[in-house]
Amino acid sequence: MMFTQTWLLPFVLLATATIAAFPLSRYLAWIMDGKYRPLPVMGWFEKRLDSGPQNWKQYIGSLLLFNTVLFVFGYLVLALQPFMPLNPDGKTMLFPSTIFNSVISFMTNTNLQHYSGDQHLSNFSQIFFCISNMYISAAIGLCALAAIIRALRSDKSLGNFFLDMWRVMIYMFVPFAFVFALIFLTQGSPMTFKTSHQVSTLEPAAMGTTDKGEAKQQNIVVGPVAALESIKMLGTNGGGFYGMNSAHPFENPTALSNFFNTLAMMIFPFGLVIMYGRMLGRMRHAYVIFIVMLALMAGTVVWSVYYDTLKPNPGLTAHAARTLEIPGEKTWDMKKSVTYAAIAGLPVDQHLGNLEGKEMRFGTSAGATFDALTTDVTCGAVNAEEDSLNPIAALSPMVGMWINSIFGGKGVGMINMLLYIIIGIFIAGMMVGRTPEYLGKKIEAREIKLAAIALLVHPFMILAPVALFAVTHWGVDAVSNPGAHGFSQILYQFSSASANNGSAFDGLGVTYGFYNATSPAPSAIAFDIATGLVMLFSRFLPIIAPIAMAAYLGAKKTSPVGLGTLRDDDATFGLFLVATILIIGALLFLPAAALGPIAEHLGPFPVGG
Amino acid sequence: MFRYLSKSILLLVFSVVFCVILYTLALWAVGQVFFPSQANGSLLMGPDGKPVGSRLIAQPFTKDEYFQPRPSAASYDASASSSSALAASNYALRDRVARTLGPIVAYRSGPKAGQPVAPDIEQWFQKDAFQGAPHIVAQWADMHNSLAQAWVTGDPTHTAYVDNWAKSHPKEVAQFTKDNPGISQPKASDLAVVFFKNFSAENAGKFPSSVTRTGKDGKPATTIEPVKEGSDIQSIFFDMWRQDHADADIQDVPGDLVTTSASGLDPHITLQNAEFQLDRVAPKWAADLKRDQAEVRKEIEQILQKNAFAPFDGLAGEKIINVLEVNLELRNKYGAP
Repeated sequence: MMFTQTWLLPFVLLATATIAAFPLSRYLAWIMDGKYRPLPVMGWFEKRLDSGPQNWKQYIGSLLLFNTVLFVFGYLVLALQPFMPLNPDGKTMLFPSTIFNSVISFMTNTNLQHYSGDQHLSNFSQIFFCISNMYISAAIGLCALAAIIRALRSDKSLGNFFLDMWRVMIYMFVPFAFVFALIFLTQGSPMTFKTSHQVSTLEPAAMGTTDKGEAKQQNIVVGPVAALESIKMLGTNGGGFYGMNSAHPFENPTALSNFFNTLAMMIFPFGLVIMYGRMLGRMRHAYVIFIVMLALMAGTVVWSVYYDTLKPNPGLTAHAARTLEIPGEKTWDMKKSVTYAAIAGLPVDQHLGNLEGKEMRFGTSAGATFDALTTDVTCGAVNAEEDSLNPIAALSPMVGMWINSIFGGKGVGMINMLLYIIIGIFIAGMMVGRTPEYLGKKIEAREIKLAAIALLVHPFMILAPVALFAVTHWGVDAVSNPGAHGFSQILYQFSSASANNGSAFDGLGVTYGFYNATSPAPSAIAFDIATGLVMLFSRFLPIIAPIAMAAYLGAKKTSPVGLGTLRDDDATFGLFLVATILIIGALLFLPAAALGPIAEHLGPFPVGG
Repeated sequence: MFRYLSKSILLLVFSVVFCVILYTLALWAVGQVFFPSQANGSLLMGPDGKPVGSRLIAQPFTKDEYFQPRPSAASYDASASSSSALAASNYALRDRVARTLGPIVAYRSGPKAGQPVAPDIEQWFQKDAFQGAPHIVAQWADMHNSLAQAWVTGDPTHTAYVDNWAKSHPKEVAQFTKDNPGISQPKASDLAVVFFKNFSAENAGKFPSSVTRTGKDGKPATTIEPVKEGSDIQSIFFDMWRQDHADADIQDVPGDLVTTSASGLDPHITLQNAEFQLDRVAPKWAADLKRDQAEVRKEIEQILQKNAFAPFDGLAGEKIINVLEVNLELRNKYGAP
């Protein structure tokens, strides 16, 4: 029974998303290739938006210009919050650095939140800032992928950015978001423009009493939750209406809503990989990529569930006495041994695994499963507290962010995978002493440079700021857990920012709050600015460079397939791709992992106090 | 360039109209017309017809007659959801769990099977020796500086007590400023460890706790006094007692009873947790109603069974109950406790 309760949910989720990917990819390709015929009304809008065929420079230019407009719009909406309607509680303006961070965060599809939606945003901001950015930023990545595909198949033009955006939002996101929102609505997600209910609790004064001696009421925040929830998940955005995101009972009321919540973030990333093969006419190639991604995803899910659901929280269990040899205080070659006394366990039944930071209604393994998937597909929503995961289980969501292409976010995951493919083929070509080719196009110095830049932005944007923050008071003042876990908190924050993920180890003090906050987190401004810049660079460089690379590749002559051609649609290629990803993507981060989650896992337990 | 700028603005306007305004309004209309209860927060009506809370949001219960939801890192504030964010390796997590356990755990086997552990914790505490060394409170403050500080700052009466102590112990304070040249005017929280060490030496086997007595004017007044028993000692020192009694066979408590949820508002507890609490709930109702304990227990057990459900009918998880719904049913059946 325990076996079923643990493994059935993740298995059904992966299977359902895989099955859904096939019809979905057909639909996606049909839309992106413009084979549909719009209704006359919708055609009018398309004509207004279409500025004609674009080359890659024009496409990138439009993309960047539009993002600039989006930045201004987002900044205005948040900055003007106190003057906007739907704000009966009189929520004031967030601190400017937090606005800067949040605007970039939502514009880049990251949704790292240095604020709490339930405490800091009015319903107007939730609708016009969050929902609008959730539609738009998700579409941008998908358009970039479509442009790359068109470049790779040597189309005359890369299409039109504005028309692509419109197609993605109106024909893909709106219908799916509406249906999923209806599911969440039936399960209990609120959909109202009211902001809160004041209720007197069943046991009078159970919330305590006010200074006047009256019973305190419970203030239940509601709002247009269902509308936000569906596009939050479908667009792999992940920015919750409430501070605790998909763990909050209004965002995710039942086991059924949790199933669709989880599925929603998977279907588009799954479908896009097959769409890639469909649009290129290379289905077998896409299947190999899909299987590689699925295998890596299954690995992260099994890891997370095994170490978090099937193992107890080690903070509460017994630990044997142990003696460790550590370097001496003054000279590194002098060894010093430290003895830790045995610790008796606390009498807690942990057969359901680590329950700290988990909700009960989703199912036994739902939290661990969600935590792994949310970083694989670069969503960043959470239905359990990542900070309280068992230390070694938390490695799984981190690896998801570091690799950043286990299906990955909307379009950008597939783009990142394309970079691994190019680098992998290049290495393979070097090994056999043959000019590497992808889709029959020769990969030369310029393409490799662009691919390497795009790929190395990510580790640089994580490791450099982590190093800076870990040794300065910026990081030290922000961590809420002692020892190795404190380092993990900083590492997670920048990994999440650079992967455009948005989940977090929530204990990290990064919230400034309103501009007149009385006790802001001491490092909030430093984190606002640093993660803001990281999100910006890690979003746009890995979109711009691959489009350019694809354009250069596409302009080349296609060489005929010969006996010496490296096949890109067989098991050898799949294994080679996995090796490339693990060596380049994961090994870069091994030292950081050793200082964080691995060190914490090895103990001793507990620390601090 | 200018052409792309105008297209960008047009795209933004169109998408706000379609994806934000029309989409949200359509969902709002469907919600308010077809699913009004869910769309407005799944409110539950109390005995007097007024809303008492949301089906989906946990609220606190302090009386023993009611089932209690999981502990909340958000203090059940439904306008500021929050998790504890405590790492497994953080002693604060173990401490929080141990404090919940101390007053409620019982022996599983041995001569005292079924009896509470709490009296033994107090007895051990009064002997004032931990792992063979004297002065439990001093050792506690020494091992857990931040817990000692948290005690001082956690309550204004505690801070005042330490301030008073500082006034009457100038020698100890002078020694502290000599040892810590950085702090010339030590606050109460700075002195926490010194205070507890001194307190432990002067009050062996005692801990400062709030005691409520009827004052001279006939009104109850709360003061801090050294005590040798009570819930503070049972909870704060359970973990140390446990280390001295590693072999004691104690009944396990359901995991969700001592762990905080992710949202701090988890409306459910496991059926196992509810059954554990039934040992407290049923006798209390029986005493209130002056009825037979076994009979009341059977009735409440039926309410639990009726309300229990499992995610996907048990395919994905174990049975849980909604705390507010069950307590509302108890309130409607038995009246206000």
